[in-house]
Amino acid sequence: MRTQNATAYRFLTPYLLIFAIFWIWPIISSFIISFQATRTVPWRFAPTFNWGRLIGDPAFYNALKNTLLILVIQVPVMIALAIVMAVLLNSPLLKARGLYRFAFFAPVVVGEVAYSAVFRLMFSLDFGIVNKLLESVGLAKIDWFSNVTPAMALIMIAVTWRWAGYNAIIILAGLQSIPEDVYEAATLDRVSKLRQFFYITLPLLKPVIVFCAVLSIIGTMQLFTEPFLITERGGPGGGTETLGLLLYRQGFRSLNFGYASAVAYTMAGLAIAITLVQLWLMREPK
Amino acid sequence: MAAVTLTNVVKRFGIFEVVHGANIDIADGEFVVFVGPSGCGKSTLLRMIAGLEDISGGDIAIGGKVINDVEPADRGIAMVFQSYALYPHMTVEQNLSFGLRMNGNPKADTERRVKRAAEILRIDELMQRRPKQLSGGQRQRVAIGRAIVREPQVFLFDEPLSNLDAELRVQMRVEISRLHKELGVTMIYVTHDQTEAMTLADRIVVLKAGNVEQIGAPLDLYDDPANRFVAGFIGSPKMNFLSAKVVETTNSAAIIELAHHGGARLRKPLCETFPALGAEVVLGVRPEHFFEAGEGDCDIPVKADVAEHLGSVSYVYANAGPEELIVEREASRQRASGDHFTVSIKTERALLFDKAGARIR
Ligand SMILES: Nc1ncnc2c1ncn2[C@@H]1O[C@H](COP(=O)(O)OP(=O)(O)OP(=O)(O)O)[C@@H](O)[C@H]1O
Ligand SMILES: [Mg+2]
Repeated sequence: MRTQNATAYRFLTPYLLIFAIFWIWPIISSFIISFQATRTVPWRFAPTFNWGRLIGDPAFYNALKNTLLILVIQVPVMIALAIVMAVLLNSPLLKARGLYRFAFFAPVVVGEVAYSAVFRLMFSLDFGIVNKLLESVGLAKIDWFSNVTPAMALIMIAVTWRWAGYNAIIILAGLQSIPEDVYEAATLDRVSKLRQFFYITLPLLKPVIVFCAVLSIIGTMQLFTEPFLITERGGPGGGTETLGLLLYRQGFRSLNFGYASAVAYTMAGLAIAITLVQLWLMREPK
Repeated sequence: MAAVTLTNVVKRFGIFEVVHGANIDIADGEFVVFVGPSGCGKSTLLRMIAGLEDISGGDIAIGGKVINDVEPADRGIAMVFQSYALYPHMTVEQNLSFGLRMNGNPKADTERRVKRAAEILRIDELMQRRPKQLSGGQRQRVAIGRAIVREPQVFLFDEPLSNLDAELRVQMRVEISRLHKELGVTMIYVTHDQTEAMTLADRIVVLKAGNVEQIGAPLDLYDDPANRFVAGFIGSPKMNFLSAKVVETTNSAAIIELAHHGGARLRKPLCETFPALGAEVVLGVRPEHFFEAGEGDCDIPVKADVAEHLGSVSYVYANAGPEELIVEREASRQRASGDHFTVSIKTERALLFDKAGARIR
């Protein structure tokens, strides 16, 4: 047994080394850096320098507010949408199921830059198909990029478009694990299809939905691509700046690694806290 | 309570016809068991009665009313599934009451029915548990309880005991029998286990590949099977089939010669069908109907191969030429491999079938 383990670890060494250097070390290192003033050379230990600044920084609160706003609106909407999509995908009436499954999953595979460019085109003020459609039904066109509310909505739409299908596929797997005869029993119990959904399907899907919600919360806490590429670095005027973007701006534009590390730890801490609250709220009744 | 009548019931899945015109009359309060080998259409028939499969042809009536187009929940039936089909996220109590609660049944009545079902099945102590905290037998009880609270006119069981171990199966079998006596309602029970069929049924319906082969009381099927399939299916161990040939006919009997037993002959009195001279026939003899040498009408020598000693009886697997026979003997430790002994067949304890398997009598 011993020697077997030793052999296994020898095989694992290359991976463990890379893991240690590129994962473990940065995690520890950034924690240390978050307690250092990094605008001076050499960096010096100053425990309250970054964290103190964070507590009083309006840019941080702005990014936090934007991130949480996107989180509380986008995640529930997307999960609800994903459940609907999964139920439709699971319907025996559906033809060409494989095609839909692929179509729903495809956005995840599409390159981020390409998809952002397409979104910018689709939502462009004068040439975008979205505004054309709005005008064609008699609505006013929207300047998606210069006003904060439409810009935030755009971010949420984009993120939802990109991840709803992915979550739907996961939820579909959960749906398929519910045995058919439970529904047959309910049919014999004179429970309508709609009630079967609310009283049987949803409760049985709960673990899967919680799983999807946790993944989505973690993802949205780190939201970066969409505000960076679609609304051009958190525009208009920081109106869509997220914590991820703030981190990037501080760390890689201003080269203020200490402050960026503090922001990073805040993001991770918040994600963990929200997830724990979520898990606690959705816990199995004893 | 209600009678169930199936008239020329046909089921097709796409182009495949899996039930070919079943006619079955089930009396009010009767316990009827559908048996047959795997894939013969037992579950399909039951699910058509339940309304979980639609009916491709013919009529099904419950309590005199054709229910082909009646919603499953309005047919007055309750079904117990092989896999229990309990609601996994609900407690036992919620499982039992779910259907009633969803249909706005008065609370007091729901409580009364749940309490009664729990008492009948002795699951009072389990009411607050969830299905995954129950053993297989307890789950099965809950599944039956869920059927009881609906107070149906007809109970449908689809192999309810096949996921249980042997001992529990016997115990639950007795309980289902007791339940039938207590409730007195019609029960239709599907199984492929002929022991279950024999012990539970008022009448058995034997199915084969979507056809009803025979309907009758257990002992009638045992004593007087309509064909070779039923004869072989009912009874354990199986009936022995010995090939033979008609060598002489009279106007009230046929004399047959066994093919592999040194020209042994047997005179079989007949009254309905008369096989042609020279026709190949099959003689069916149950293991328990081989008598000691000289006691019957025709002795055949055999050689013991393997003996199974069950305590009360022993089954000797014996060879005679190319035919393997199973012979029941009183418990004995002596019979060993290679022993030669002689068994005797009594005419009235042997059944005759033609080559196609139809009974000759
Ligand atoms: N949904 C379906 N689509 C197509 N064929 C089916 C379907 N359900 C059942 N069949 C076919 O119908 C026949 C009867 O099936 P059924 O389930 O009634 O058998 P059974 O007698 O209950 O067998 P078992 O003892 O294995 O449960 C089988 O040949 C089966 O392949
Ligand atoms: Mg079956």
